[in-house]
Amino acid sequence: MSGGDFMNGPMLWFANRGTGVVLLLLLTLSTVLGVLSTARVSPRIWPRMLSQGLHRNVSMLAVTFLAAHVVTAVVDTFVDIRWWQAFVPFGGTYKPVWLGLGALSLDLLIAVTVTSLLRHRMSHRPWRAVHVLAYAAWGMGLLHGIQIGTDSPSAWDAALNYGCIGVVSVAVIARVGVVARSTAVAS
Amino acid sequence: MTSATTALPTAVQNEEGLPPVVSQGPALLAGIGHGPGLHAHRDRIGPAPRLGAQELVELAREVDLRGRGGAGFPSAIKLASAARRRAVVVVNASEGEPASHKDVALMTCAPHVVLDGAAAVAHALGTREVHVVVPSELPSLRLIVVRAVRERAIAGERLRVRLHDAAPRFVAGQAQAVLQLLAGRENLPVTARAPEAVSGHRGRPTLLSNAETFAHLGHLARVGAAGYAVHGTADEPGTTLLTLRGDGWDPEVREVAFGTPLTEVLAQDELTRPLLLGGYHGTWLRPGQLPGLTVSRKGIAAAGASIGAGVMLPLAQGWCPLVRTAALVDYLAGQSAGRCGPCRNGLPAMAEALQDLVHRGGPVARVEELCGLVRGRGACAHPDGTARLVASMLTRFPEEVDSHSLGTCRSGQPGMFG
Amino acid sequence: MSEHQLRVDWPACTAHGLCAELLPEVVSLDEWGYPIVHEAVTGEVLAMARAAVKACPTLALRLIPAAPRPA
Repeated sequence: MSGGDFMNGPMLWFANRGTGVVLLLLLTLSTVLGVLSTARVSPRIWPRMLSQGLHRNVSMLAVTFLAAHVVTAVVDTFVDIRWWQAFVPFGGTYKPVWLGLGALSLDLLIAVTVTSLLRHRMSHRPWRAVHVLAYAAWGMGLLHGIQIGTDSPSAWDAALNYGCIGVVSVAVIARVGVVARSTAVAS
Repeated sequence: MTSATTALPTAVQNEEGLPPVVSQGPALLAGIGHGPGLHAHRDRIGPAPRLGAQELVELAREVDLRGRGGAGFPSAIKLASAARRRAVVVVNASEGEPASHKDVALMTCAPHVVLDGAAAVAHALGTREVHVVVPSELPSLRLIVVRAVRERAIAGERLRVRLHDAAPRFVAGQAQAVLQLLAGRENLPVTARAPEAVSGHRGRPTLLSNAETFAHLGHLARVGAAGYAVHGTADEPGTTLLTLRGDGWDPEVREVAFGTPLTEVLAQDELTRPLLLGGYHGTWLRPGQLPGLTVSRKGIAAAGASIGAGVMLPLAQGWCPLVRTAALVDYLAGQSAGRCGPCRNGLPAMAEALQDLVHRGGPVARVEELCGLVRGRGACAHPDGTARLVASMLTRFPEEVDSHSLGTCRSGQPGMFG
Repeated sequence: MSEHQLRVDWPACTAHGLCAELLPEVVSLDEWGYPIVHEAVTGEVLAMARAAVKACPTLALRLIPAAPRPA
């Protein structure tokens, strides 16, 4: 099999879709762990460092899958996606809206990653303001994945998507509940 | 000396709704009978003093001038720290302490005494930038200060004076809270990376002091160390402003020379009752300790108290010091900025533990535990001051504490148990 | 002997408690979950103290090289 065939064949496309699915799972897990980090769960049941450590590791793993997902999309010649279209959310030719959403998600995740690597060199409030964008990045990534797929979603895909939405929703509602309770105590 | 007295404008009121009476004094309050105007002020004492930084620092050191905001920090050290490029002068007249009225009295009756001091410090530090912080709830005072600043500008003084309105809170006068106000943020304390004399407003060396401190500096700069020491003792030269009965029916602001016996400051019957000295973050003294004391930082410290912001609150007749303290801690807990966990949680817990102790025979140990838990664990000294008040109550009135544990009050205040 | 003090930026601290988990020799938690620094940081625990400073979710910890203040 020649290199050209490799680029033209379905391998990269499958790799792209595969990394996309894993990426969604990892980002969902990272988001839930991030929310858990702020919850006041007893450290005997679940050490706080565990949440923070897992969140970091899962996020780093997600970033590598994100990179793979972007590279496979661009390198693959089956669909015309240029390098710059991975980062700029408009001007694409292949499903421009949903691709653009993915690009936007990527941009946000780059910002989140860079600021997190430099967390100790910046003050807390601006770091947090950027970090909160991870929620938006997750949501955009999810929507991008649902809509950009070539075939109609299988029951499997649907279950996956709903599962991710459900898990993050529960985590966020729990977080909001904790914040509301702690604000009530403080006032 | 027979003294003229002035009642402050009715907008200035203590907790009972009464304006304090201000008596003429030997130094800072010598000219209050002539009104707050600049002409009368200049006629009486002449031009504003102008000294170099070195000279002013030396004078402050010679008379051991201390800040009058409550902490009593040596002014010479502060001045020396701030005597660098692009300094800023901040006059703190916000007077967040409800039982203190001396700063308001100064700014209302003798604003130019304070502003002369601010001008002298600004000149010594080589800056023109002066900020004056006034209480936002006293627009009449603001008007007086605005007028005074305008008079000085017309008379040729070249300073950039800006006024700021402090929030009507206890902690609004804290140094970092004032710097936040100047920076356009909420008037609440934050953690300081460096003392403000080193790095304060916009990172510049900031000489932030109480209004009375500036009044002393101005007076000192004008009359010199010898002139300053005409009043007071050899050990503690000069005078200080006291607020007497600030929470009562006849509040008074009086300038008193150091070394004056307490028997000359307080009335006969006030000497037979417990005295809260320093302010709401102050310490209690037993009646037996009072006759031997003079108005002296060192003497009062030796008695286990602190002169603080010069507030003297004799306990009202027939009241119990424990009940009074519990009420004060209730107030202080409500005045927490709410920014620091130990204070936000600890002070209300302390208030509740005190109410328990006073009214339901609750454990002293819990009160002591909370005092230990809040000390030193906040961005400002609000929890520390509150703990100090409570600790002094426990130290001075052990019989009252025992009595309340058993369900009776030695002061005979009725109906407080159960 | 390099002795350090662990300082808390109280307005920034929101009682996550990671510092007490990482550094129980120096930090314990009060009844509301806020850190009580009851020891100076000496040589053996310095590395963990640095980890605690890094781990704090709100960057509320600082390590100051100084002699301890009297209690």
